[in-house]
Amino acid sequence: MSQDKPLSGIHVVEHTSGVAGAWAGRLLAAMGAEVTLVEPAALSVLRRTAPFLPSGESALFAYVAADKKGVICDLETETGRASLASLLTAADIFIDDTPVKGRASLGIDEAGIAARYPDLIHLSVLPFGAFGPKADWSGAEINLIHAGGEGFLLPNGLSANMFPDRPPLKIAGHFAQMQGGVVAALSALSALWSRKGQCVDVSIQDANAAVGAFAIQRFGDGSVEHRLTRSFRYGGVIACSDGYVELLTLEERQWQGLVHLMGDPEWAQDPALNDAVARSNSGDMINEKIRAWACQFEVEDLVARAQELGVPMARYNAPHQILAGAHEVARGAFQNVQTVADGVIKVQAAPFRFADAPVGIDAAAPQPGAHQYILDATPPVLSKRVTI
Amino acid sequence: MKPLEGLRIADFTVHAAGPFCTHMLSQLGAQCIKIESSQRLDIFRKPHAVYGRAGPATFDQVASNKLSVRLNLKHADGVALAKRLVAQSDVAAESFRAGVMQRLGLGYEVLRAVKKDIVMVSVSSSGQTGPDSHFAGYAPLFGAWGGLGYLTGYEDGPPVEMRHVMDHSVGMNAALATVAALHKRRMTGLGSHVDVAAREVASSLVGEALTASSAGVELERMGNNDPQHAPHGIYATDTPERWLTVAVTSDGEWKALAEIMGRPELANDACYATGAARIARRSEVDGFVRHWCKASDADTAAALLQSAGIAAHVSWRASDIVADPHMRGRNSIVEVTESNGKTRKAIGFPARFSKSDAPGMDRGTPGLGEHEDYVFGDLLGIGARERARLVDEHVIF
Repeated sequence: MSQDKPLSGIHVVEHTSGVAGAWAGRLLAAMGAEVTLVEPAALSVLRRTAPFLPSGESALFAYVAADKKGVICDLETETGRASLASLLTAADIFIDDTPVKGRASLGIDEAGIAARYPDLIHLSVLPFGAFGPKADWSGAEINLIHAGGEGFLLPNGLSANMFPDRPPLKIAGHFAQMQGGVVAALSALSALWSRKGQCVDVSIQDANAAVGAFAIQRFGDGSVEHRLTRSFRYGGVIACSDGYVELLTLEERQWQGLVHLMGDPEWAQDPALNDAVARSNSGDMINEKIRAWACQFEVEDLVARAQELGVPMARYNAPHQILAGAHEVARGAFQNVQTVADGVIKVQAAPFRFADAPVGIDAAAPQPGAHQYILDATPPVLSKRVTI
Repeated sequence: MKPLEGLRIADFTVHAAGPFCTHMLSQLGAQCIKIESSQRLDIFRKPHAVYGRAGPATFDQVASNKLSVRLNLKHADGVALAKRLVAQSDVAAESFRAGVMQRLGLGYEVLRAVKKDIVMVSVSSSGQTGPDSHFAGYAPLFGAWGGLGYLTGYEDGPPVEMRHVMDHSVGMNAALATVAALHKRRMTGLGSHVDVAAREVASSLVGEALTASSAGVELERMGNNDPQHAPHGIYATDTPERWLTVAVTSDGEWKALAEIMGRPELANDACYATGAARIARRSEVDGFVRHWCKASDADTAAALLQSAGIAAHVSWRASDIVADPHMRGRNSIVEVTESNGKTRKAIGFPARFSKSDAPGMDRGTPGLGEHEDYVFGDLLGIGARERARLVDEHVIF
């Protein structure tokens, strides 16, 4: 299933403890870069972060560290700093998420790195960036999804209808930090493209404001969004007899398909509903009808019939349904990875591919210090990039 | 120079996800030529009624900085012109349903024939292959298919639909993969067809839950809770809708929080001394914080908690973001000038570069066909008489 990966020959050294920096490294590794994760003696905190596999190993670490090499290197010691120096000599990109004020003592401050490695892309990934009044602020996932604006706007739709008085809701997992990781990887590769060694300063807050940019534009248009009013006027999360579907009809023909799917009920024949704006304004009534109708059917049956009629509808898939999904299996979206403690697990290599075949995963997340030999070679023996 | 200056994109993308990809690349310095036609406007340029009013949705942010031309891709001469444009480009980006570009006569093999090392990026709901590849979809459906929607929600509530952050996550990933493919071209001389499936982007954002599931560990919705840390959540403050997020991730932080809350006795109470103990008494611990926050000013409390090393931030609205000195100082919030001279606030590129020129938006939203003199005249070398014919025959239309 593997193919020539686009970043073959690019070397990345990753010194991270958070999800954002780790995700940046992981995306680069998935695309073929050789990524060496530098861990302290106490090991990456992500190895101790939920969720856990049956053995007690972290599923999060198994996911975000797949395809990386791992060395233990204590930057508090001179030997550790010398080892890192040797790695950086041959690296194209250095990913670091050490808080700014902790960098100089470890020898990884911006000025020092720039002076010693003028061709290196020094990628800093921090909750609020390395510059500005909040550069030293801490930020966990729940803080960052709200600092970027999207947290305030969630939930919407059915959940907001059911629980209008509850506090806002975060997105599952590490959504905000992963946005930071994607922006970081994009920015580092763009800097590398420019052939200018430099520091790239990524703020996870900024990354989230960027993906939430429409809220800012709509604010500029004079429209202040709120989770209780941002919902689509009809459709959205719809309960069936055995689960939930998402239904969204933005185009006229899709609405007509939905009416047909519902058996052309009399209420839907009202001429007042022919106009999209009027229909939208009758959203509460329409949703009441849709919900009363949909709860009689099973998800699978309804989705199949909707798709035949060109009505955009999707099952809210639980994880096990995704892993077993015919589409995902056909595309090889998840690949078997052999682990030491949990046998074969499935890992998604990357959310994009460069040919029909997915990019392959060559190795499970590294055991602690599994690639310590890299530090023994001076300078490290690394394959050369060929640039034409 | 901006990092990607010198690159050119023939941009066939529509809606949100694809245009956000090219929007990012454009801000990074690539020249992006947006291709539409008056017969088939980008749906985001058109008014629609989904929010209960018939106004244009949210076109300006992602269209800014792009050049605009009209091309009727239903006309053979329009397709021929599109190919000439691709021949002058490094990247061809599209976001139609899988198969539409082939039907238009602009599939990857065709584009490769006119530009052998073209990087084509295709953004779609379910990818270019597989049984569902023909499905149309929008952000909430991507989230539903990919598991992100299922796992998001209150513990006792339904799944939650993802909105345009989902689209834009797809676009951001697509931009990343495009630049990676350009590196491959630089190193090997070979182009690529980049296939970005939105539902797979949704899955990637909960990949640890999927990996856990493959080993028999099923995760469910957990609201704002964290499986390992408490207190952890969002709390009402002394002002309605001014919520404060707090995440205590160590025992030391808990002690500091207890002091700040004026409850020093909690700091040394064995009932709350460890993460596991606080998780076991999560509702009690949350109650302490809720009580304190209820009487606190959110911004003051956030600063106070941060000064003690505790992760805290106010739940920000758009009005907070545009006014924030931190983000303005970072050029995360910028002013964009439209062609009518009016300025508006927009989100800038979310990273700073120490040696390249700052990414950003030099122009506002392009009018339809605003840059045809440059693109058809200067770039493709089409003379005035030929252009007039193409306009008359609804090729440039």
